[in-house]
Amino acid sequence: MAREAAKRIQGLPVLVTSPLDVARLVRELEAIDEALLQLGLRQPGAEVKMPKTSRLMDQVILLNELNLLYPEDRLLLQQFLRAVKERAPVVHMSFNADPPVAFMEKLVAWLRREINPLVLVTVGLQPNMGAGCMLRTTNRQFDFSLRQTFLKNRELLISKLMSEEQAA
Amino acid sequence: MTIWWLVVILGALGGVGIAFIWLAVRLGRVNNKAVSKQPDSIEDAADEDVEHVFNKEFREELRNRGRLHFEKIIGENAMFLQQDLRLTTSQLNEYMKTEITRKLKEEFDKYEQSIMDAKQLAIDSIQKTNTAIDEERRVLGQQVQQEIAAEKQVRLERFEANMADIINHYVLAAIGNQIDLNDQLEYILADLEANKQAIIEDIQHGA
Repeated sequence: MAREAAKRIQGLPVLVTSPLDVARLVRELEAIDEALLQLGLRQPGAEVKMPKTSRLMDQVILLNELNLLYPEDRLLLQQFLRAVKERAPVVHMSFNADPPVAFMEKLVAWLRREINPLVLVTVGLQPNMGAGCMLRTTNRQFDFSLRQTFLKNRELLISKLMSEEQAA
Repeated sequence: MTIWWLVVILGALGGVGIAFIWLAVRLGRVNNKAVSKQPDSIEDAADEDVEHVFNKEFREELRNRGRLHFEKIIGENAMFLQQDLRLTTSQLNEYMKTEITRKLKEEFDKYEQSIMDAKQLAIDSIQKTNTAIDEERRVLGQQVQQEIAAEKQVRLERFEANMADIINHYVLAAIGNQIDLNDQLEYILADLEANKQAIIEDIQHGA
C-alpha cells in the first residue's frame, strides 16, 4: 500500500511556492491527522468537528491523487512534505513590486520544469531595481534587473552623451 | 713736512724775541754798574774822563739812539714776524684747505664707493630675488596647471559617472513602476533560461 502511494506522489503544485507554504501544509496535515485520530476514537453519538482543508492542501491532494482518510496516504504526504521542507532547494527572488499570484505560478512552473521539480521560492522587494528581478541561490546571485542592464550599457550611454556634447 | 717748517720758523722767531729781551736786560745792568762804581786811581781818572766824555747826556743820547735802533729792529722784526705769520697763516690755511679737501675727497670717494657697493649689493640681491620669484612663479604655475588639469579630469570623470547614474536613476524612477510584472515575465524567463545551467549547477552543488 505504501509502495503504491509512493508511486502516486507527483510533486508540489505551483501554488506552493515558499518554505512557509510547506511549513503551513505540514502543520495542516498534522492537524488533519490529529482530527482523524480523534474521529476514530470517538464515542458513538458524540459530536465531532470535521477538519477543513485549505486551498493549498486541496491542490496537493488533487495533484498527488491522495486520500487523506487513509493513514498511509497521510503518512506518505507527511514524509514527503518534511523531506521537501528539509531538503528542497530554495531560491530567493526579488522584484520591484509584490508579484501577483498568476505571475508566481508561471514563474514557479518554469523553475520546477527547468531547474528542479521541488524548488521553492522566497520573494523579496527591491523597489529601486526598476524592472526585472534578482535571483539568489545558495552561493550565487544573478542580477536580471533593469538597473544592471543600464550599468552594463553605461559606456554606451557615456559615449552617446559625449558624442552629443561634441556635436553641440 | 710743511708743519715742521712752520714749527722751525716759529721757533726761530721766538729765539730772536728772547735774544732782544736778554740784550735789553743786559744793557740796563751795565748802566747801573757804571753809575755805582767810584774813581779810585788812574783807572778811576780814566774812568772819570770817560765819564766826562761819555757823560750823562751823551749816554742818554746813546741810550736814546739804542732805544730807537732797538725799536727799529723790533719793529722790523715784528714786521718780518708779521709777514712770516701771515705767510705761515696763508700756507697753513692753504695746507689745511688742501688737506681738508683731500680728506673730504677721500672720504667722499670712500662714501661713494660704499654707496656704489651697497647699491650693487642691493641690485644683486634684487636680481636674485627676482630670479627666485620668477622661478617660484614658474614652478607654482606648473603646479597650478597640473592641479587644474587633474581636477578637471576628476570633475569630468565624476560628471560622466554621475550623469550616467542620474540618467539611469531617472529612467528607472520614470518607467520602473510603469512596467507590470506580467509584462516582464517573458524577459525574466529569458534571463533565467540564459543562466539556467549556472543556476542548476549552484543548486546541485550548493551547501
